[in-house]
Amino acid sequence: MKTILVVDDEEDIRESVKLILETRGYKVEMAVNGDDCLKKLTSVNPDLILLDIMMPGKPVDEVVRHIKNVKIAFMSVVRISEARKRGLCTQENIVDFIQKPFDVGDLVGRVELILGE
Amino acid sequence: MGWDNDEKSLKTFLFSKINRKITFLLLITGLITPALTILYFYELALSVIPESIPLEQSVLLQTAAVIIIVLIGVNVGFFGFLFSRSISKPIKQLYAVTKEVEKGNFNVKTDVKTGDEIEELAVAFNNTTAALARIDNERREIDSAKTEFLSITSHELRSPMTPMKAQLQMLEQEYFGKLNDKQKHSLGIVIRNADRLDKIIVDFLEISRIEAARLKFSFKQIDLVKTAEETVEFMKGFANEKEIKLELKTDKIPVIDVDPDRVSQVLRNLINNAIKFSKNKSKIEIDVNIKEDHIQFSVKDYGCGMTSEDQIRVFEPFYQVEDHSRRVHGGTGLGLAICRGIVESQKGKIWVESKLGKGSTFSFTVPLKPIMEIEPIKVLFSPRSVIEGKLKEEFKKVLGPLGLGEFNELKSKNALWKEDLFKYVATLTNLFILSDEQGQLFKNKIGMIFGDEKDIINEKTVTPMLTLLRW
Repeated sequence: MKTILVVDDEEDIRESVKLILETRGYKVEMAVNGDDCLKKLTSVNPDLILLDIMMPGKPVDEVVRHIKNVKIAFMSVVRISEARKRGLCTQENIVDFIQKPFDVGDLVGRVELILGE
Repeated sequence: MGWDNDEKSLKTFLFSKINRKITFLLLITGLITPALTILYFYELALSVIPESIPLEQSVLLQTAAVIIIVLIGVNVGFFGFLFSRSISKPIKQLYAVTKEVEKGNFNVKTDVKTGDEIEELAVAFNNTTAALARIDNERREIDSAKTEFLSITSHELRSPMTPMKAQLQMLEQEYFGKLNDKQKHSLGIVIRNADRLDKIIVDFLEISRIEAARLKFSFKQIDLVKTAEETVEFMKGFANEKEIKLELKTDKIPVIDVDPDRVSQVLRNLINNAIKFSKNKSKIEIDVNIKEDHIQFSVKDYGCGMTSEDQIRVFEPFYQVEDHSRRVHGGTGLGLAICRGIVESQKGKIWVESKLGKGSTFSFTVPLKPIMEIEPIKVLFSPRSVIEGKLKEEFKKVLGPLGLGEFNELKSKNALWKEDLFKYVATLTNLFILSDEQGQLFKNKIGMIFGDEKDIINEKTVTPMLTLLRW
Protein backbone atom coordinates (compact mmCIF):
# COMPACT_ATOMS: atom_id res chain seq x y z
CA MET A 1 0.00 0.00 0.00
CA LYS A 2 1.44 3.33 -1.04
CA THR A 3 1.68 6.22 1.38
CA ILE A 4 0.86 9.83 0.57
CA LEU A 5 1.85 12.79 2.75
CA VAL A 6 -0.65 15.66 2.51
CA VAL A 7 0.72 19.06 3.54
CA ASP A 8 -1.79 21.94 3.78
CA ASP A 9 -2.48 24.56 6.43
CA GLU A 10 -6.27 24.22 6.05
CA GLU A 11 -7.77 21.38 8.05
CA ASP A 12 -10.83 21.03 5.83
CA ILE A 13 -8.66 20.47 2.81
CA ARG A 14 -6.50 17.93 4.62
CA GLU A 15 -9.59 16.05 5.76
CA SER A 16 -11.17 16.05 2.30
CA VAL A 17 -8.03 14.91 0.49
CA LYS A 18 -7.44 12.24 3.18
CA LEU A 19 -10.92 10.82 2.68
CA ILE A 20 -10.64 10.82 -1.10
CA LEU A 21 -7.26 9.08 -1.14
CA GLU A 22 -8.04 6.57 1.62
CA THR A 23 -11.14 5.55 -0.29
CA ARG A 24 -8.85 4.75 -3.21
CA GLY A 25 -6.76 2.56 -0.95
CA TYR A 26 -3.83 4.78 -0.06
CA LYS A 27 -2.40 5.32 3.40
CA VAL A 28 -2.50 9.05 4.19
CA GLU A 29 -0.27 11.01 6.57
CA MET A 30 -0.75 14.72 7.20
CA ALA A 31 1.32 17.80 8.01
CA VAL A 32 0.19 21.36 8.67
CA ASN A 33 3.04 23.35 7.17
CA GLY A 34 6.60 23.20 5.77
CA ASP A 35 8.39 22.64 9.07
CA ASP A 36 5.86 20.02 10.14
CA CYS A 37 6.31 18.30 6.79
CA LEU A 38 10.08 18.02 7.22
CA LYS A 39 9.59 16.75 10.77
CA LYS A 40 7.14 14.06 9.62
CA LEU A 41 9.62 12.96 6.96
CA THR A 42 12.03 11.78 9.66
CA SER A 43 9.56 9.12 10.73
CA VAL A 44 7.42 8.53 7.64
CA ASN A 45 8.54 7.40 4.21
CA PRO A 46 5.84 8.46 1.73
CA ASP A 47 5.70 7.63 -1.99
CA LEU A 48 4.26 11.05 -2.81
CA ILE A 49 3.97 14.43 -1.11
CA LEU A 50 1.06 16.75 -1.95
CA LEU A 51 2.40 20.16 -1.03
CA ASP A 52 0.38 23.38 -0.85
CA ILE A 53 2.56 26.22 -2.06
CA MET A 54 1.00 28.99 0.01
CA MET A 55 1.41 28.20 3.72
CA PRO A 56 2.56 30.22 6.71
CA GLY A 57 6.02 29.50 8.00
CA LYS A 58 8.93 28.23 5.96
CA PRO A 59 8.57 29.18 2.27
CA VAL A 60 7.90 26.29 -0.01
CA ASP A 61 11.08 26.51 -2.10
CA GLU A 62 13.17 26.12 1.05
CA VAL A 63 11.14 23.11 2.15
CA VAL A 64 11.53 21.49 -1.22
CA ARG A 65 15.29 21.86 -1.13
CA HIS A 66 15.42 19.40 1.76
CA ILE A 67 13.39 16.78 -0.05
CA LYS A 68 15.31 15.05 -2.79
CA ASN A 69 14.12 11.55 -3.33
CA VAL A 70 10.37 11.69 -2.84
CA LYS A 71 7.98 12.71 -5.58
CA ILE A 72 6.29 16.06 -4.92
CA ALA A 73 3.14 17.53 -6.44
CA PHE A 74 2.37 21.19 -5.75
CA MET A 75 -1.14 22.40 -5.01
CA SER A 76 -2.27 26.01 -5.38
CA VAL A 77 -5.39 28.15 -5.20
CA VAL A 78 -3.74 31.01 -7.01
CA ARG A 79 -3.61 30.69 -10.78
CA ILE A 80 0.01 30.13 -11.68
CA SER A 81 1.40 31.19 -15.03
CA GLU A 82 3.53 28.81 -17.07
CA ALA A 83 6.59 30.94 -16.36
CA ARG A 84 6.04 30.80 -12.61
CA LYS A 85 5.48 27.04 -12.81
CA ARG A 86 8.82 26.62 -14.53
CA GLY A 87 10.42 28.70 -11.80
CA LEU A 88 8.95 26.50 -9.10
CA CYS A 89 9.63 23.12 -10.64
CA THR A 90 13.34 23.38 -10.04
CA GLN A 91 13.97 19.81 -9.00
CA GLU A 92 13.53 16.51 -10.74
CA ASN A 93 11.30 15.12 -8.05
CA ILE A 94 8.66 17.82 -8.57
CA VAL A 95 6.34 16.01 -10.90
CA ASP A 96 2.99 17.80 -11.06
CA PHE A 97 1.03 20.96 -10.41
CA ILE A 98 -2.54 20.64 -9.15
CA GLN A 99 -4.85 23.64 -9.36
CA LYS A 100 -7.23 24.14 -6.48
CA PRO A 101 -10.19 23.75 -6.31
CA PHE A 102 -9.75 20.39 -7.93
CA ASP A 103 -12.13 17.79 -9.24
CA VAL A 104 -12.16 14.67 -7.10
CA GLY A 105 -11.74 12.56 -10.20
CA ASP A 106 -8.93 14.75 -11.48
CA LEU A 107 -6.99 14.53 -8.23
CA VAL A 108 -7.31 10.76 -8.10
CA GLY A 109 -6.32 10.46 -11.74
CA ARG A 110 -3.17 12.52 -11.31
CA VAL A 111 -2.10 10.72 -8.15
CA GLU A 112 -2.56 7.36 -9.83
CA LEU A 113 -0.59 8.54 -12.84
CA ILE A 114 2.28 9.74 -10.67
CA LEU A 115 2.40 6.56 -8.66
CA GLY A 116 2.32 4.53 -11.84
CA GLU A 117 -0.84 2.56 -11.08
CA MET B 1 31.25 65.93 -28.27
CA GLY B 2 31.43 69.18 -26.28
CA TRP B 3 32.00 71.14 -29.47
CA ASP B 4 28.83 69.70 -31.00
CA ASN B 5 26.77 70.65 -28.00
CA ASP B 6 28.10 74.18 -28.03
CA GLU B 7 27.40 74.51 -31.75
CA LYS B 8 23.90 73.16 -31.29
CA SER B 9 23.12 75.38 -28.34
CA LEU B 10 24.56 78.41 -30.12
CA LYS B 11 22.33 77.66 -33.08
CA THR B 12 19.31 77.25 -30.85
CA PHE B 13 20.14 80.50 -29.10
CA LEU B 14 20.68 82.40 -32.29
CA PHE B 15 17.48 81.19 -33.78
CA SER B 16 15.37 81.29 -30.64
CA LYS B 17 12.38 83.50 -31.34
CA ILE B 18 12.66 85.59 -28.21
CA ASN B 19 16.38 86.14 -28.73
CA ARG B 20 15.80 87.23 -32.30
CA LYS B 21 13.04 89.63 -31.38
CA ILE B 22 14.84 91.32 -28.52
CA THR B 23 18.25 91.45 -30.18
CA PHE B 24 16.79 92.88 -33.36
CA LEU B 25 14.81 95.45 -31.42
CA LEU B 26 17.86 96.55 -29.41
CA LEU B 27 20.01 96.64 -32.51
CA ILE B 28 17.65 99.01 -34.24
CA THR B 29 17.26 101.18 -31.15
CA GLY B 30 20.99 101.10 -30.46
CA LEU B 31 21.91 102.07 -33.98
CA ILE B 32 19.39 104.78 -34.67
CA THR B 33 20.92 107.41 -32.42
CA PRO B 34 24.55 106.97 -33.47
CA ALA B 35 23.55 106.68 -37.12
CA LEU B 36 21.53 109.87 -37.02
CA THR B 37 24.26 111.64 -35.07
CA ILE B 38 26.93 110.59 -37.52
CA LEU B 39 24.76 111.63 -40.42
CA TYR B 40 24.19 115.01 -38.81
CA PHE B 41 27.84 115.64 -38.13
CA TYR B 42 28.74 114.43 -41.58
CA GLU B 43 26.41 116.95 -43.17
CA LEU B 44 27.67 119.60 -40.74
CA ALA B 45 31.28 118.83 -41.58
CA LEU B 46 30.52 118.98 -45.28
CA SER B 47 28.82 122.32 -44.96
CA VAL B 48 31.67 123.85 -42.90
CA ILE B 49 34.73 122.38 -44.55
CA PRO B 50 35.64 123.98 -47.97
CA GLU B 51 34.19 122.40 -51.09
CA SER B 52 37.22 120.71 -52.43
CA ILE B 53 38.15 118.03 -49.98
CA PRO B 54 40.76 115.64 -51.28
CA LEU B 55 39.12 112.37 -52.24
CA GLU B 56 41.12 110.40 -49.69
CA GLN B 57 39.93 112.55 -46.80
CA SER B 58 36.32 112.20 -47.86
CA VAL B 59 36.72 108.46 -48.27
CA LEU B 60 38.48 108.37 -44.89
CA LEU B 61 35.57 110.20 -43.28
CA GLN B 62 33.05 107.87 -44.88
CA THR B 63 35.02 104.77 -43.87
CA ALA B 64 35.34 106.12 -40.33
CA ALA B 65 31.59 106.65 -40.21
CA VAL B 66 30.88 103.17 -41.47
CA ILE B 67 33.36 101.62 -39.04
CA ILE B 68 31.85 103.49 -36.10
CA ILE B 69 28.37 102.34 -37.04
CA VAL B 70 29.52 98.76 -37.48
CA LEU B 71 31.34 98.81 -34.12
CA ILE B 72 28.29 100.22 -32.38
CA GLY B 73 26.15 97.63 -34.13
CA VAL B 74 28.38 94.77 -33.01
CA ASN B 75 28.52 96.14 -29.47
CA VAL B 76 24.79 96.62 -29.17
CA GLY B 77 24.13 93.32 -30.87
CA PHE B 78 26.42 91.51 -28.47
CA PHE B 79 25.07 93.09 -25.32
CA GLY B 80 21.54 92.94 -26.63
CA PHE B 81 22.02 89.27 -27.24
CA LEU B 82 23.32 88.70 -23.71
CA PHE B 83 20.38 90.65 -22.34
CA SER B 84 17.82 88.73 -24.33
CA ARG B 85 19.47 85.49 -23.26
CA SER B 86 19.00 86.44 -19.62
CA ILE B 87 15.27 86.60 -20.30
CA SER B 88 14.94 83.66 -22.63
CA LYS B 89 17.01 81.25 -20.56
CA PRO B 90 14.65 81.05 -17.57
CA ILE B 91 11.70 80.97 -19.93
CA LYS B 92 13.27 78.00 -21.69
CA GLN B 93 13.80 76.29 -18.36
CA LEU B 94 10.15 76.76 -17.47
CA TYR B 95 9.17 75.48 -20.89
CA ALA B 96 11.27 72.33 -20.54
CA VAL B 97 9.80 71.61 -17.12
CA THR B 98 6.25 72.25 -18.36
CA LYS B 99 6.82 69.71 -21.11
CA GLU B 100 7.69 67.14 -18.45
CA VAL B 101 4.48 67.90 -16.57
CA GLU B 102 2.55 67.50 -19.80
CA LYS B 103 3.89 63.97 -20.02
CA GLY B 104 2.50 63.33 -16.57
CA ASN B 105 5.78 63.59 -14.70
CA PHE B 106 4.99 65.85 -11.76
CA ASN B 107 8.21 65.45 -9.85
CA VAL B 108 9.92 68.36 -11.51
CA LYS B 109 11.27 71.57 -10.14
CA THR B 110 12.72 74.53 -11.87
CA ASP B 111 15.63 76.53 -10.54
CA VAL B 112 15.40 80.12 -11.67
CA LYS B 113 17.30 82.80 -9.81
CA THR B 114 16.80 85.93 -11.84
CA GLY B 115 15.52 88.00 -8.94
CA ASP B 116 12.49 89.24 -10.84
CA GLU B 117 8.93 88.35 -11.79
CA ILE B 118 10.15 85.42 -13.84
CA GLU B 119 11.62 83.93 -10.69
CA GLU B 120 8.27 84.49 -8.97
CA LEU B 121 6.59 82.69 -11.83
CA ALA B 122 9.03 79.81 -11.45
CA VAL B 123 8.34 79.57 -7.71
CA ALA B 124 4.60 79.52 -8.33
CA PHE B 125 5.16 76.84 -10.95
CA ASN B 126 7.15 74.71 -8.51
CA ASN B 127 4.40 74.97 -5.94
CA THR B 128 1.82 73.93 -8.50
CA THR B 129 3.74 70.85 -9.61
CA ALA B 130 4.39 69.91 -5.98
CA ALA B 131 0.64 70.05 -5.35
CA LEU B 132 -0.04 68.02 -8.49
CA ALA B 133 2.55 65.44 -7.47
CA ARG B 134 0.89 65.09 -4.07
CA ILE B 135 -2.53 64.55 -5.61
CA ASP B 136 -1.12 62.08 -8.10
CA ASN B 137 0.63 60.14 -5.32
CA GLU B 138 -2.55 59.96 -3.29
CA ARG B 139 -4.39 58.63 -6.29
CA ARG B 140 -1.76 55.97 -6.84
CA GLU B 141 -1.82 54.93 -3.20
CA ILE B 142 -5.58 54.61 -3.19
CA ASP B 143 -5.42 52.62 -6.40
CA SER B 144 -2.87 50.17 -5.10
CA ALA B 145 -4.65 49.84 -1.76
CA LYS B 146 -7.84 49.02 -3.63
CA THR B 147 -6.12 46.46 -5.80
CA GLU B 148 -4.29 44.92 -2.84
CA PHE B 149 -7.61 44.63 -1.05
CA LEU B 150 -9.28 43.05 -4.05
CA SER B 151 -6.45 40.58 -4.50
CA ILE B 152 -6.47 39.43 -0.90
CA THR B 153 -10.26 39.24 -0.78
CA SER B 154 -10.43 37.21 -3.97
CA HIS B 155 -7.79 34.83 -2.76
CA GLU B 156 -9.62 34.39 0.52
CA LEU B 157 -12.88 33.95 -1.37
CA ARG B 158 -11.43 31.17 -3.49
CA SER B 159 -9.86 29.15 -0.73
CA PRO B 160 -13.09 27.81 0.82
CA MET B 161 -14.09 26.59 -2.63
CA THR B 162 -11.57 23.74 -2.45
CA PRO B 163 -13.00 21.78 0.49
CA MET B 164 -16.52 22.80 -0.56
CA LYS B 165 -16.16 21.42 -4.05
CA ALA B 166 -14.33 18.30 -2.85
CA GLN B 167 -17.00 17.44 -0.26
CA LEU B 168 -19.87 18.17 -2.64
CA GLN B 169 -18.38 15.89 -5.25
CA MET B 170 -17.81 13.18 -2.66
CA LEU B 171 -21.43 13.49 -1.58
CA GLU B 172 -22.53 13.24 -5.18
CA GLN B 173 -20.30 10.25 -5.81
CA GLU B 174 -21.99 8.57 -2.84
CA TYR B 175 -18.94 8.43 -0.60
CA PHE B 176 -21.25 8.91 2.35
CA GLY B 177 -24.08 6.66 1.36
CA LYS B 178 -26.58 6.23 -1.40
CA LEU B 179 -28.62 9.23 -2.50
CA ASN B 180 -32.20 9.34 -3.67
CA ASP B 181 -33.12 11.22 -6.88
CA LYS B 182 -34.29 14.35 -5.12
CA GLN B 183 -31.04 14.54 -3.16
CA LYS B 184 -28.99 14.03 -6.31
CA HIS B 185 -30.91 16.79 -8.10
CA SER B 186 -30.49 19.20 -5.21
CA LEU B 187 -26.79 18.44 -5.00
CA GLY B 188 -26.46 19.06 -8.73
CA ILE B 189 -27.84 22.56 -8.27
CA VAL B 190 -25.48 23.32 -5.42
CA ILE B 191 -22.41 22.07 -7.33
CA ARG B 192 -23.30 23.98 -10.48
CA ASN B 193 -23.67 27.22 -8.61
CA ALA B 194 -20.56 26.70 -6.53
CA ASP B 195 -18.66 26.35 -9.82
CA ARG B 196 -20.32 29.46 -11.16
CA LEU B 197 -19.34 31.41 -8.09
CA ASP B 198 -15.77 30.25 -8.41
CA LYS B 199 -15.62 31.33 -12.04
CA ILE B 200 -16.91 34.79 -11.17
CA ILE B 201 -14.29 35.17 -8.49
CA VAL B 202 -11.58 34.16 -10.93
CA ASP B 203 -12.83 36.74 -13.44
CA PHE B 204 -12.97 39.32 -10.71
CA LEU B 205 -9.34 38.67 -9.85
CA GLU B 206 -8.49 39.11 -13.52
CA ILE B 207 -10.27 42.44 -13.61
CA SER B 208 -8.52 43.69 -10.52
CA ARG B 209 -5.23 42.82 -12.16
CA ILE B 210 -6.20 44.63 -15.35
CA GLU B 211 -7.18 47.67 -13.34
CA ALA B 212 -3.81 47.87 -11.70
CA ALA B 213 -2.05 47.08 -14.98
CA ARG B 214 -0.40 44.24 -13.14
CA LEU B 215 -1.89 42.07 -15.80
CA LYS B 216 1.27 40.35 -16.84
CA PHE B 217 2.02 41.15 -20.44
CA SER B 218 5.00 39.60 -22.07
CA PHE B 219 5.79 41.15 -25.43
CA LYS B 220 7.56 39.19 -28.10
CA GLN B 221 7.99 39.46 -31.85
CA ILE B 222 4.99 37.46 -32.94
CA ASP B 223 3.36 36.38 -36.16
CA LEU B 224 -0.26 36.93 -35.25
CA VAL B 225 -1.46 34.79 -38.11
CA LYS B 226 0.05 31.80 -36.35
CA THR B 227 -1.55 32.87 -33.09
CA ALA B 228 -4.93 33.11 -34.80
CA GLU B 229 -4.46 29.70 -36.43
CA GLU B 230 -3.52 28.06 -33.13
CA THR B 231 -6.45 29.66 -31.33
CA VAL B 232 -8.93 28.56 -33.98
CA GLU B 233 -7.52 25.02 -33.87
CA PHE B 234 -7.94 25.01 -30.12
CA MET B 235 -11.54 26.18 -30.35
CA LYS B 236 -12.44 23.63 -33.02
CA GLY B 237 -13.01 21.07 -30.28
CA PHE B 238 -15.78 23.15 -28.74
CA ALA B 239 -17.19 24.10 -32.12
CA ASN B 240 -17.44 20.45 -33.14
CA GLU B 241 -19.73 19.75 -30.19
CA LYS B 242 -22.35 21.82 -32.00
CA GLU B 243 -21.12 20.83 -35.46
CA ILE B 244 -20.15 24.44 -36.15
CA LYS B 245 -17.53 25.25 -38.76
CA LEU B 246 -14.78 27.73 -37.93
CA GLU B 247 -13.43 29.54 -40.99
CA LEU B 248 -10.25 31.57 -40.68
CA LYS B 249 -9.22 34.13 -43.31
CA THR B 250 -6.06 36.18 -42.87
CA ASP B 251 -4.23 38.95 -44.70
CA LYS B 252 -0.48 39.00 -44.76
CA ILE B 253 0.31 40.42 -41.32
CA PRO B 254 3.74 41.76 -40.37
CA VAL B 255 5.46 40.43 -37.27
CA ILE B 256 4.95 42.88 -34.41
CA ASP B 257 5.77 43.28 -30.75
CA VAL B 258 2.72 41.91 -28.99
CA ASP B 259 1.62 39.57 -26.21
CA PRO B 260 0.23 36.55 -28.08
CA ASP B 261 -1.39 34.97 -25.01
CA ARG B 262 -3.54 38.05 -24.44
CA VAL B 263 -4.59 38.31 -28.08
CA SER B 264 -5.38 34.62 -28.01
CA GLN B 265 -7.38 35.08 -24.82
CA VAL B 266 -9.59 37.75 -26.37
CA LEU B 267 -10.01 35.74 -29.56
CA ARG B 268 -10.92 32.60 -27.60
CA ASN B 269 -13.52 34.50 -25.61
CA LEU B 270 -15.11 35.97 -28.75
CA ILE B 271 -15.18 32.62 -30.53
CA ASN B 272 -16.59 31.00 -27.40
CA ASN B 273 -19.40 33.56 -27.33
CA ALA B 274 -20.02 33.06 -31.04
CA ILE B 275 -20.33 29.31 -30.51
CA LYS B 276 -22.65 29.83 -27.56
CA PHE B 277 -25.03 31.97 -29.53
CA SER B 278 -24.90 30.12 -32.85
CA LYS B 279 -27.23 27.33 -33.86
CA ASN B 280 -25.96 23.85 -34.55
CA LYS B 281 -24.38 23.21 -37.93
CA SER B 282 -23.83 26.91 -38.64
CA LYS B 283 -20.52 28.58 -39.32
CA ILE B 284 -18.34 31.23 -37.70
CA GLU B 285 -16.00 33.40 -39.76
CA ILE B 286 -12.82 34.70 -38.22
CA ASP B 287 -10.92 37.37 -40.15
CA VAL B 288 -7.56 38.94 -39.54
CA ASN B 289 -7.03 42.06 -41.63
CA ILE B 290 -4.22 44.59 -41.90
CA LYS B 291 -5.32 48.21 -41.79
CA GLU B 292 -3.41 51.48 -41.93
CA ASP B 293 -1.99 51.54 -38.44
CA HIS B 294 -3.46 48.47 -36.83
CA ILE B 295 -4.44 44.84 -37.22
CA GLN B 296 -8.13 44.08 -37.03
CA PHE B 297 -9.59 40.79 -35.81
CA SER B 298 -13.25 40.01 -36.32
CA VAL B 299 -15.43 37.10 -35.31
CA LYS B 300 -18.69 36.85 -37.24
CA ASP B 301 -21.46 34.52 -36.28
CA TYR B 302 -24.84 33.81 -37.85
CA GLY B 303 -26.61 33.30 -34.58
CA CYS B 304 -29.44 35.09 -32.90
CA GLY B 305 -27.89 38.56 -32.98
CA MET B 306 -28.42 41.25 -30.36
CA THR B 307 -30.82 44.08 -29.69
CA SER B 308 -29.46 47.59 -29.85
CA GLU B 309 -29.57 47.82 -26.08
CA ASP B 310 -27.49 44.66 -25.88
CA GLN B 311 -24.98 46.06 -28.34
CA ILE B 312 -24.49 49.15 -26.24
CA ARG B 313 -24.21 47.38 -22.94
CA VAL B 314 -22.60 44.08 -23.78
CA PHE B 315 -19.11 45.14 -22.68
CA GLU B 316 -20.33 46.21 -19.27
CA PRO B 317 -19.23 44.02 -16.37
CA PHE B 318 -21.85 41.42 -15.40
CA TYR B 319 -24.13 42.37 -18.28
CA GLN B 320 -25.52 39.30 -19.96
CA VAL B 321 -27.80 39.13 -22.92
CA GLU B 322 -31.39 38.35 -21.98
CA ASP B 323 -32.09 35.00 -23.52
CA HIS B 324 -34.55 32.27 -22.60
CA SER B 325 -31.75 29.77 -22.95
CA ARG B 326 -29.50 31.89 -20.77
CA ARG B 327 -29.26 29.43 -17.95
CA VAL B 328 -27.63 26.97 -20.28
CA HIS B 329 -24.89 29.39 -21.25
CA GLY B 330 -23.45 29.66 -17.76
CA GLY B 331 -21.26 32.69 -18.30
CA THR B 332 -20.08 35.11 -15.65
CA GLY B 333 -20.91 38.27 -17.57
CA LEU B 334 -17.32 39.40 -17.16
CA GLY B 335 -15.69 37.87 -20.23
CA LEU B 336 -16.26 40.82 -22.55
CA ALA B 337 -15.41 43.33 -19.83
CA ILE B 338 -12.09 41.56 -19.43
CA CYS B 339 -11.59 41.51 -23.20
CA ARG B 340 -12.20 45.23 -23.35
CA GLY B 341 -9.72 45.75 -20.53
CA ILE B 342 -7.07 43.74 -22.35
CA VAL B 343 -7.69 45.35 -25.75
CA GLU B 344 -7.79 48.90 -24.43
CA SER B 345 -4.71 48.52 -22.26
CA GLN B 346 -2.90 47.62 -25.50
CA LYS B 347 -4.35 50.85 -26.94
CA GLY B 348 -6.74 49.00 -29.22
CA LYS B 349 -10.50 49.19 -29.67
CA ILE B 350 -13.20 46.56 -29.39
CA TRP B 351 -16.77 46.80 -30.68
CA VAL B 352 -19.73 44.88 -32.02
CA GLU B 353 -22.03 45.13 -35.02
CA SER B 354 -25.15 43.07 -34.90
CA LYS B 355 -28.59 42.52 -36.36
CA LEU B 356 -31.24 40.84 -34.28
CA GLY B 357 -31.99 37.45 -35.78
CA LYS B 358 -29.15 37.62 -38.30
CA GLY B 359 -25.97 37.43 -36.25
CA SER B 360 -23.18 39.49 -34.73
CA THR B 361 -19.67 40.52 -35.60
CA PHE B 362 -17.29 41.28 -32.76
CA SER B 363 -14.12 43.10 -33.78
CA PHE B 364 -11.00 44.30 -32.00
CA THR B 365 -7.81 46.00 -33.04
CA VAL B 366 -4.16 45.69 -32.12
CA PRO B 367 -2.01 48.70 -33.04
CA LEU B 368 1.06 48.07 -35.17
CA LYS B 369 3.18 50.42 -33.11
CA PRO B 370 4.64 48.60 -30.12
CA ILE B 371 3.14 49.50 -26.77
CA MET B 372 5.96 50.73 -24.61
CA GLU B 373 3.99 50.89 -21.44
CA ILE B 374 0.80 49.22 -20.34
CA GLU B 375 -1.51 51.73 -18.76
CA PRO B 376 -3.91 50.68 -16.08
CA ILE B 377 -7.36 50.48 -17.56
CA LYS B 378 -10.35 50.88 -15.36
CA VAL B 379 -12.72 48.05 -16.11
CA LEU B 380 -15.23 48.42 -13.30
CA PHE B 381 -14.97 52.01 -12.10
CA SER B 382 -14.06 53.32 -15.47
CA PRO B 383 -13.44 56.94 -16.36
CA ARG B 384 -14.89 55.87 -19.72
CA SER B 385 -18.25 55.36 -18.08
CA VAL B 386 -17.95 58.73 -16.34
CA ILE B 387 -17.06 60.37 -19.67
CA GLU B 388 -19.93 58.57 -21.39
CA GLY B 389 -22.33 59.74 -18.70
CA LYS B 390 -21.29 63.35 -19.20
CA LEU B 391 -21.49 63.02 -22.98
CA LYS B 392 -24.99 61.60 -22.70
CA GLU B 393 -26.08 64.57 -20.61
CA GLU B 394 -24.53 67.00 -23.09
CA PHE B 395 -26.25 65.32 -26.04
CA LYS B 396 -29.59 65.54 -24.28
CA LYS B 397 -29.00 69.21 -23.54
CA VAL B 398 -27.87 70.23 -27.02
CA LEU B 399 -30.04 68.01 -29.19
CA GLY B 400 -33.10 67.76 -26.98
CA PRO B 401 -35.31 64.67 -27.36
CA LEU B 402 -33.21 63.39 -30.28
CA GLY B 403 -30.06 63.61 -28.19
CA LEU B 404 -30.43 60.26 -26.44
CA GLY B 405 -31.08 58.42 -29.69
CA GLU B 406 -28.06 60.00 -31.37
CA PHE B 407 -25.88 59.24 -28.37
CA ASN B 408 -26.89 55.56 -28.37
CA GLU B 409 -26.35 55.33 -32.11
CA LEU B 410 -22.80 56.68 -31.75
CA LYS B 411 -22.12 54.44 -28.78
CA SER B 412 -23.15 51.32 -30.66
CA LYS B 413 -20.73 52.27 -33.44
CA ASN B 414 -18.03 52.84 -30.80
CA ALA B 415 -17.77 56.42 -32.01
CA LEU B 416 -17.65 58.02 -28.56
CA TRP B 417 -14.08 59.24 -29.00
CA LYS B 418 -13.04 62.86 -29.33
CA GLU B 419 -12.10 62.83 -33.02
CA ASP B 420 -15.21 60.88 -34.04
CA LEU B 421 -17.42 63.21 -32.02
CA PHE B 422 -15.84 66.30 -33.56
CA LYS B 423 -16.52 64.86 -37.01
CA TYR B 424 -20.09 64.21 -35.96
CA VAL B 425 -20.56 67.80 -34.78
CA ALA B 426 -19.10 69.04 -38.07
CA THR B 427 -21.77 67.01 -39.89
CA LEU B 428 -24.45 68.61 -37.73
CA THR B 429 -23.25 72.12 -38.56
CA ASN B 430 -22.91 71.26 -42.26
CA LEU B 431 -26.50 70.13 -42.30
CA PHE B 432 -27.51 73.37 -40.49
CA ILE B 433 -28.91 71.34 -37.61
CA LEU B 434 -26.66 73.41 -35.39
CA SER B 435 -25.38 76.91 -36.06
CA ASP B 436 -21.61 77.36 -36.27
CA GLU B 437 -21.62 78.95 -32.84
CA GLN B 438 -23.67 76.17 -31.31
CA GLY B 439 -21.40 73.64 -32.99
CA GLN B 440 -18.28 75.29 -31.57
CA LEU B 441 -19.82 75.39 -28.08
CA PHE B 442 -20.73 71.72 -28.39
CA LYS B 443 -17.19 70.87 -29.48
CA ASN B 444 -15.74 72.85 -26.59
CA LYS B 445 -17.96 71.02 -24.16
CA ILE B 446 -16.91 67.68 -25.64
CA GLY B 447 -13.28 68.72 -25.48
CA MET B 448 -13.69 69.67 -21.83
CA ILE B 449 -15.23 66.32 -21.04
CA PHE B 450 -12.17 64.68 -22.54
CA GLY B 451 -9.99 66.94 -20.39
CA ASP B 452 -9.02 69.74 -22.75
CA GLU B 453 -9.67 72.67 -20.41
CA LYS B 454 -6.32 74.20 -21.18
CA ASP B 455 -6.98 74.51 -24.92
CA ILE B 456 -10.24 76.34 -24.30
CA ILE B 457 -8.70 78.73 -21.79
CA ASN B 458 -5.92 79.52 -24.25
CA GLU B 459 -8.36 80.23 -27.04
CA LYS B 460 -10.30 82.68 -24.90
CA THR B 461 -7.40 84.70 -23.51
CA VAL B 462 -4.32 84.33 -25.72
CA THR B 463 -5.94 85.73 -28.84
CA PRO B 464 -6.45 89.27 -27.52
CA MET B 465 -2.92 89.26 -26.07
CA LEU B 466 -1.39 88.29 -29.39
CA THR B 467 -3.21 91.12 -31.08
CA LEU B 468 -1.58 93.55 -28.65
CA LEU B 469 1.87 92.14 -29.22
CA ARG B 470 1.64 92.17 -32.98
CA TRP B 471 3.96 94.90 -34.19
